[in-house]
Amino acid sequence: MVKPVLKLENLSSFIGAFHIVQGVSLDVFPGEAVVILGRNGAGKTTTLRTIMGLLRVAGGVIELAGETILGLPAHQVARRGVGYVPEDCIVFNFLTVKENLQIAMRKADKETYARQSYALDLFPDLKKAYSRYAATLSGGQRQMLAIARVLQNDNKIILIDEPSKGLAPIIVERVGEALITMKNSCTLILVEQNFPLACAVGDRYYILNGGRSVHSGHVTELANDVQLQNRFLSIGA
Amino acid sequence: MLASLQSRLYDLVRRDTFLPRFHFLAIGLLGIMLLLLPQLTGLVLVGLFTRIFVLAVFGMSYDLLRGYAGIINLGHALFFGGGTYIAGIVFANYGTSPTMLGLAVLGTTAYAMLAALLMGKIAFRRGNVVACAMITLALGEIVRQIAESWRAVTHGADGLTFPIPMMFRDRVALYYYALAFMVIMMLALRQFIMSPTGRVLLAIRENEQRAIFLGYNTASYKLVALQVAGVVCGWSGVMFALTSRFANTELLTVQQTLNALLVTIVGGTGTLYGAIVGTAFVQLAQHTLLGLRGVHLIFERWLLFFGAIYVFVVLFMPTGIVGLYQRLISHWLKPVKPR
Repeated sequence: MVKPVLKLENLSSFIGAFHIVQGVSLDVFPGEAVVILGRNGAGKTTTLRTIMGLLRVAGGVIELAGETILGLPAHQVARRGVGYVPEDCIVFNFLTVKENLQIAMRKADKETYARQSYALDLFPDLKKAYSRYAATLSGGQRQMLAIARVLQNDNKIILIDEPSKGLAPIIVERVGEALITMKNSCTLILVEQNFPLACAVGDRYYILNGGRSVHSGHVTELANDVQLQNRFLSIGA
Repeated sequence: MLASLQSRLYDLVRRDTFLPRFHFLAIGLLGIMLLLLPQLTGLVLVGLFTRIFVLAVFGMSYDLLRGYAGIINLGHALFFGGGTYIAGIVFANYGTSPTMLGLAVLGTTAYAMLAALLMGKIAFRRGNVVACAMITLALGEIVRQIAESWRAVTHGADGLTFPIPMMFRDRVALYYYALAFMVIMMLALRQFIMSPTGRVLLAIRENEQRAIFLGYNTASYKLVALQVAGVVCGWSGVMFALTSRFANTELLTVQQTLNALLVTIVGGTGTLYGAIVGTAFVQLAQHTLLGLRGVHLIFERWLLFFGAIYVFVVLFMPTGIVGLYQRLISHWLKPVKPR
């Protein structure tokens, strides 16, 4: 039986005094792209931040490839192979695209350079802007750079938080195409409000509501179930 | 009209070739002037410039923390005063041979590394700037209190006077030693900032959480920065001992740290050179205002003018003198689109 790359069981966490994540359980298997859906405030971003070790965990299980990463500081979670692209996609403005990629390299070996080359093929805009300072990049290019930085490392799983946020539709389309290509070579968790993009990228979905995982299944089923969409996501007819 | 003039000026002096040449020439001229200064002026100015060189290193060590690593250290004076005290205690009790100078430098290095390690372990635990500032302030005060109470060794607020090694007793020779010290420290710190560790520090300053997501243990990097800044600051304290031949607990107060903070604000943070420019500006302004006391009674209150200068700089030159210069250069030498 295939073991999950990432397993969350009844995860519960706080932001300050607020109990935001109150029981999230999910499994992500190798090569899968799992999308986390839910209304605003459902706990999607907080779940990702909890996995990354940025928030106080009240209980539950977080296992990465069978090993617990619960309670580890964020930099160690990253070093164990969890790549994270937060929703604000911050890049280092004072560095060029090349330097941004370099500073994010965990190893400077052949494989990493090969993955970097793959990431640059995926985002040709970055190739063109390779020597430009990140401060001069457009919103879409910054998002591409943020994704490329995690893609070049040997991550077991990549967590991407709302990659379409604040981007023009044409750029969303390009980022979406890249994510679809990407999922053939890595395991992904995608938090996304853009339902068509989530359906295009994801294999399976989890719906969060009130900080709990309330529904899961195959994305194609959700795409055809208007009642479910209306009930949990308010996007149905 | 102005645009065409700018356009012509740009054609004449293209930024990519002109600026490096201009800077090279300006630094060369400044270097020659500084080398010739002791031959051209009296001992008062030589003493003033020696002080500027030493305090500029103190300022640069502070800039490394504030300008590059984004750390507000309000106890930075414990490194500076510690270096001065260690040198003074060694010279006063064990002689002034070059070996003793080496011992003072080694002792200061060990003290600064240990103090920075303890300070960093406590201050960076919470990972927030305000907590770090408060903790470093408290640690600085603890060291000052210890020095104040340990009168048998430090002579408390009365101060400790001590002889210095023979080679530093000539004021002109000391001037050149201090100049060489500043240049070497500036090059060393610049090299550190350009190193991979320095780039990570800049990344931490820009967004610490982002650096953490990339797998960097930011607390360790900040600790390295604090140790480097602490050691350099301690060495500037040893050099200060050679220029002043006196140490008291004033050197350990938060005021001393604020002096370093102010020179980086005036000169420009995150540039290293800014600390040198800021120290020169502050010391020369202080010297000039003090000199004007005989001209009019109002200059007896020279600190008022000094305060006004600080307020002016903070309000109108938020990036400091170096920042203002960089902005002016980039504004005047930018290419003008032909109409």
